[in-house]
Amino acid sequence: MTKKIRIATQGLFLLLFLWLFLQTESKGANDLGYPVKIFLDADPLIFITTMLSSREWYQTFYLAIIVIVATVFLGRVFCGWVCPLGTLNNMVGSIKKGRPQKATVDWYRFKYYILIFLLVSSLFSLQLVGIADPISLLIRSFSLAVYPLVSYATSATFDAFYNAHIPFLVNISEFIYSTLKKIFLPFQQPFYLQSAFVGFLFLLILGMNLVERRFWCKYLCPLGGLLGILSRYAFLKRSVSEDCNDCGACAQACQGGAAPDGNEKWKNTECLCCMDCDDLCPRNAVHFGFREKQPVAGMDLGKRRVVGSILTGLIAVPLLRITPIAKAGVADPRLIRPPGSLEEKEFLRKCVKCGECMKVCITNGLQPTLFEAGIEGIWSPVLVPRIGYCEYRCTLCGQVCPTGAIKKLELPEKNKVKIGLAMIDKGRCLPHAHATPCIVCEEVCPTPKKAIWFEQVGVKNREGKERRLKLPKVDLELCIGCGLCEAKCPVLGQPAIYVTSVGESRSRDNQLLLP
Amino acid sequence: MKRRDFIKAAIAAGVTITFPGNTGIILSPLEAAEKVDLAVSHGVSPAGITKAAIDALGGIKRFISRGDVVVVKPNIGWDRMPEYAATTNPEVVSTVIRLCYEAGAKQVKVFDRSVVDPRRCYKQSGISDAASAVGGVVSFVDDRKFREVKLPGAALKSWPLYAEAMEADKVINLPIAKTHGLSTLTLGMKNWMGIMGGSRGRIHQKMERSLVDVAMFMKPSLVILDAVRILTANGPQGGSLSDVKQLNTVIAGTDQVAVDAYGATLFGLKGADLGYVVAGHKAGLGTMDLAKVKIKRVNI
Repeated sequence: MTKKIRIATQGLFLLLFLWLFLQTESKGANDLGYPVKIFLDADPLIFITTMLSSREWYQTFYLAIIVIVATVFLGRVFCGWVCPLGTLNNMVGSIKKGRPQKATVDWYRFKYYILIFLLVSSLFSLQLVGIADPISLLIRSFSLAVYPLVSYATSATFDAFYNAHIPFLVNISEFIYSTLKKIFLPFQQPFYLQSAFVGFLFLLILGMNLVERRFWCKYLCPLGGLLGILSRYAFLKRSVSEDCNDCGACAQACQGGAAPDGNEKWKNTECLCCMDCDDLCPRNAVHFGFREKQPVAGMDLGKRRVVGSILTGLIAVPLLRITPIAKAGVADPRLIRPPGSLEEKEFLRKCVKCGECMKVCITNGLQPTLFEAGIEGIWSPVLVPRIGYCEYRCTLCGQVCPTGAIKKLELPEKNKVKIGLAMIDKGRCLPHAHATPCIVCEEVCPTPKKAIWFEQVGVKNREGKERRLKLPKVDLELCIGCGLCEAKCPVLGQPAIYVTSVGESRSRDNQLLLP
Repeated sequence: MKRRDFIKAAIAAGVTITFPGNTGIILSPLEAAEKVDLAVSHGVSPAGITKAAIDALGGIKRFISRGDVVVVKPNIGWDRMPEYAATTNPEVVSTVIRLCYEAGAKQVKVFDRSVVDPRRCYKQSGISDAASAVGGVVSFVDDRKFREVKLPGAALKSWPLYAEAMEADKVINLPIAKTHGLSTLTLGMKNWMGIMGGSRGRIHQKMERSLVDVAMFMKPSLVILDAVRILTANGPQGGSLSDVKQLNTVIAGTDQVAVDAYGATLFGLKGADLGYVVAGHKAGLGTMDLAKVKIKRVNI
């Protein structure tokens, strides 16, 4: 019975997660109408590491506090009942054939070392938690890989029907397609750099369930580690009565590898509170309650290994930062951060690489970095105008950012934020280099007084005939670097007008004009 | 056009702008009882003047028959609210749709290939809500529905155009009058870019003749130029209310060149100042000689 309730609860939270994920998309208004980031808000690991790395109080903390309090009282119920990645791991694990065997390896400590590493490095301002935090990881994987994949596959299928021109069948398939578009598919096919890489890592995590069910949760998940430590003295305890005859049924079913049979002490920090052992015990010898008095196993992480994890966390901070990127004017000029982003150092202290901003970006222009922002900045957002520009009257990325790495801006404020400056490549620009009229960059420039203006000139063509031409020029005072000009420049491939980060409002040093 | 005739027309048009309240009285002698080529209506209600302009041409039934599938093609190109005059006035759009249904249209479709994000353009322009409210079938442009077609071909030999616009029984072009960096003004003919697929940025290299090529192919049943508000600078996208001028005017006609030539006068220009108007005139698409056009002015 408990098992059914637990599975139903997991299902509900997974559906809530997926539904909020689908709502992380514009419908034309400048707000989404739903609290799409609540799973990130409820993540104590993001909460704690962000506070450590940024040394600032966290904005929306109450959900994370609730999870912490719940864990202190009840143990890792979040892992067993709520976590959507845990639920997915359960689902994939159920494919695994054969009876679950007892864990052959004893790696459960490893997640604590990862956790210690992350906590120590964040204490020294290096925020790497997003790489391994399950909620960040899940949203990122869904946004950048799974959802685009599903969308592409679905559209390709229905396009095939559409192009086959079979009467009647087309009507049916188009009806299904348009319904799917309304409720499930993205407005337009998303494309992301590193889709394959991020998707591969995600499939790997899911695939590890075939080696051992909930492999990720047992051995790797740093949030699981944090909740494990918090549950060390949880009030909800488990006891095994003397009716137990060591049949081993519970040990086989145990999702967390918590050694529930009587052979050794129960590891309460590994228990995911799924209560399957209570449910299936043939002799009804297992009990969960608040008054149980049986001794539990110590954590026994090993002093040397803990010290080793701390040192690794310490060393990582300077190691990842001794790159020339930190020198003014050396950083990748194409590292255009979304509007409202904090100054780069602060930004990296807060960004958890969850990919929410990339998911919500209306033009698909926000993309994950690889090494443009250093190793510590991997999968943080960068605007790639050739893929998509920054929509002038949109502030969605700041609205969905869970940690405030991208500030939530009001529209009048956003309209003034420069994320870079556009410059013209006169060697490729049609009017400048080829005496051919073209005004697209000026036409689309969204600032109320256009940041692109024309110098009217008379030029002679090959036949010596005089032609009047409008040569576009960028007004660097007015340009906000949105990249719409670059996105629409008809000189495909390498555009004749492009944005670089110089001039971005958030930076004191990365400037061009005298103030 | 003789210069004198032109000046007459220009002055007449100038009056429309300067003394909007009086045009009906001053210009009433010009009104003709018989067939009208161009209707210019003026008044505070966008819905009222839209209907008045169509009525002046002989009523919607002259253009729309029972059972027609009609495409109404407004400008929904930009993420701007109606006050900014970057997109067609939503009330003008909904009025036209309502009239089409009153004339017995089977279905009235509304779409435009926006320049920036379509979701925002459709929503923020107010057109999606206004059109849906009166039964208009509002849809986003579907990339699969562009068909390569042969064009008259002075500039464009062929181009992908939107199938739903070509397959409709009747098409009503519903542009808004704005400034534009290359073509100086964007009026009716320029509005056809919203049914063009492919990489439209290249059109600008031979803008004038390209627009005429598409206009000759499309042959709308009716062109209604929204000049309730016009954008006088920083077009076609705008963004500043100080660039917007309230004219409370709607111009309707069947001659695409004449409508645009008249539209030019709203900005103190003349048809001959606009390359595509001249090109359209020369190609026989219509006339830019406003003196030869029967103009009926209505003031409500």
